[in-house]
Amino acid sequence: MIRDLFWLSLRNIRHRGLRSWLTVIGILIGTAAVVALISIGQGLQRAISAQVERTVGYNTILISSRGLNLGQRIRLDIEAIRAIPGVRNAIAVRTETAYVEGPGGKGFLGVLGYDPAMQEFVAEMNLSVAAGRALEAPGEVLLGSRTARALGAGVGDTVTIEGRKFTVVGILQAQRAGGFATGGLPLLDLLIISLPELRELFPGPELVQYAVVRLYDRADMAAVREQIQEHLRAVGERNAQITDFEDLTRSIQSMIRGVQAFLAGIAGIALLVGAVGVMNTMYTAVLERVREIGILKAIGAKDSHVLMLFLFESGLMGLAGGILGLVLGFGVAWVATLIVSRLFQAHGAFSPALSPGLVVGALFFSFLVGAVAGLFPAYRAARLPPVDALRYE
Amino acid sequence: MTAALVELQGVRKIYRLGEVEVPALRGVDLRVESGDFLALMGPSGSGKSTLLHILGLLDRPTEGKVFWEGEEVTKLNGGRLAELRGRRIGFVFQMFNLVPNLTALENVELPLIFLGLPPRERRKRAEEALIRLGLGNRLRNRPNQLSGGEQQRVALARALVTDPALLIGDEPTGNLDSVTGREILELFSELNRQGRTIVLATHDPEAAAVAKARLRLRDGRIIERT
Repeated sequence: MIRDLFWLSLRNIRHRGLRSWLTVIGILIGTAAVVALISIGQGLQRAISAQVERTVGYNTILISSRGLNLGQRIRLDIEAIRAIPGVRNAIAVRTETAYVEGPGGKGFLGVLGYDPAMQEFVAEMNLSVAAGRALEAPGEVLLGSRTARALGAGVGDTVTIEGRKFTVVGILQAQRAGGFATGGLPLLDLLIISLPELRELFPGPELVQYAVVRLYDRADMAAVREQIQEHLRAVGERNAQITDFEDLTRSIQSMIRGVQAFLAGIAGIALLVGAVGVMNTMYTAVLERVREIGILKAIGAKDSHVLMLFLFESGLMGLAGGILGLVLGFGVAWVATLIVSRLFQAHGAFSPALSPGLVVGALFFSFLVGAVAGLFPAYRAARLPPVDALRYE
Repeated sequence: MTAALVELQGVRKIYRLGEVEVPALRGVDLRVESGDFLALMGPSGSGKSTLLHILGLLDRPTEGKVFWEGEEVTKLNGGRLAELRGRRIGFVFQMFNLVPNLTALENVELPLIFLGLPPRERRKRAEEALIRLGLGNRLRNRPNQLSGGEQQRVALARALVTDPALLIGDEPTGNLDSVTGREILELFSELNRQGRTIVLATHDPEAAAVAKARLRLRDGRIIERT
């Protein structure tokens, strides 16, 4: 019987033709807006998670100053941290400002102490040289492309850092990125020497921009964090912050979710307007069909049958709007992503995500919006006394 | 005395129109026995339609009692009444009252849907009902593609498809020309001869003439039975 009522509802919707379509469009626009925003948001979230995972990685802890302020250095002994059980490897990024003289210029410049282990942690540390070769022995230095110009130095030249002579063995490829990874300055503004030599040039307690700690897969994250905390206390560092991948992801995700919820809320208003449209259409339909309702009751329809008939009608219109809105919304999200990607030259960086949850949620919710909007008109239809309904002209 | 099919005892019906109370029935006692063919006659406002609605369980009396086959139904809830209407009563109206966006066949199937019959049986019974009334070639037509007489026959088929104990007609010939009206009346007589109990409300003397008994109403009372 429910199937028959469903089928009757469908007939009634089709019978109203244009009016049904206009009502459906109301729901469609609302659903499309919500779906577009959510799928863009989810795509963004996924892209950022992937990015964080690629640069920082799971099982990874970041030790930095509070608030990730790289200008503020922290005191720690990376060897002590490497010795903590559960730690597979750890690096500390340390740059110092040094007085540098080259063949064609001099000044205070940033010097990074390089440790080959860094390559494993930070994508930017996979140094690729435009000319010459990588660091191989003590007394060698790599120059960022802008530094090379400032010092007037090329491969084979000698530069003096804090009074010690170094031979330039390579010039790095010009790359703008890496301000964060290198602890402040982009690679092209740096000089790179080996970490032990940097320590010799600047003896004393080690101050680093940040440290990255990688754990064994089965290591206990909480225990390691606790031990690091203890180490920091032991060396008297009070201004450090320990962040793991999950913290980082969580804080970024929660930020995106906040923006997303706000936008979806606005889109939800569009959906609400659509719901009012459904309610209006259903009220009109009830008024138009008072007589028909009377007939149905005269031939044995119960109140519940009439109620279901009208609820199905409004619910189906909602569902139709939901299906079309889902398609349209995803289309809009896709196009918007393409445009944004082109604008920011981040081609293929992210695409909208259409999760099964979103699909099911959108369809269910649009049906619900339709049904709820139809509830009151349907209830009124169901409660009409049959005689009044039959007498109605 | 065995129970009548329907019995009204001291039925009064008062409509409220805002502040004004309009008495439509002022105390009606009536027994409708199985096999009866009654015509309710009287001027507009005499209470014919109200009496018909109360007989057909579409309305409740303000005072008095209604018995169906000996059982008092005055206090039954709306759902039970709807079920009784669906199973035991067939209605035919002056305005035909077919559902406009359904075909003849679907219109006739409707009451069977509410009775919860499976689709195959529904279709079969609806087709048979329409064929019996000579509409075998009109199954797929919508009401607006049918003449008045055909529409009224579809309505009759819809009323009969549940094999009701009581067939109620509210001015069933009121919107038909005299020739078509006579055909419809002929159908009613035929149905009564086959044993169907019928109550009609009518202005039409011809309609009244085919009935076995005539009840004349005035001001909400039965004043004469012939």
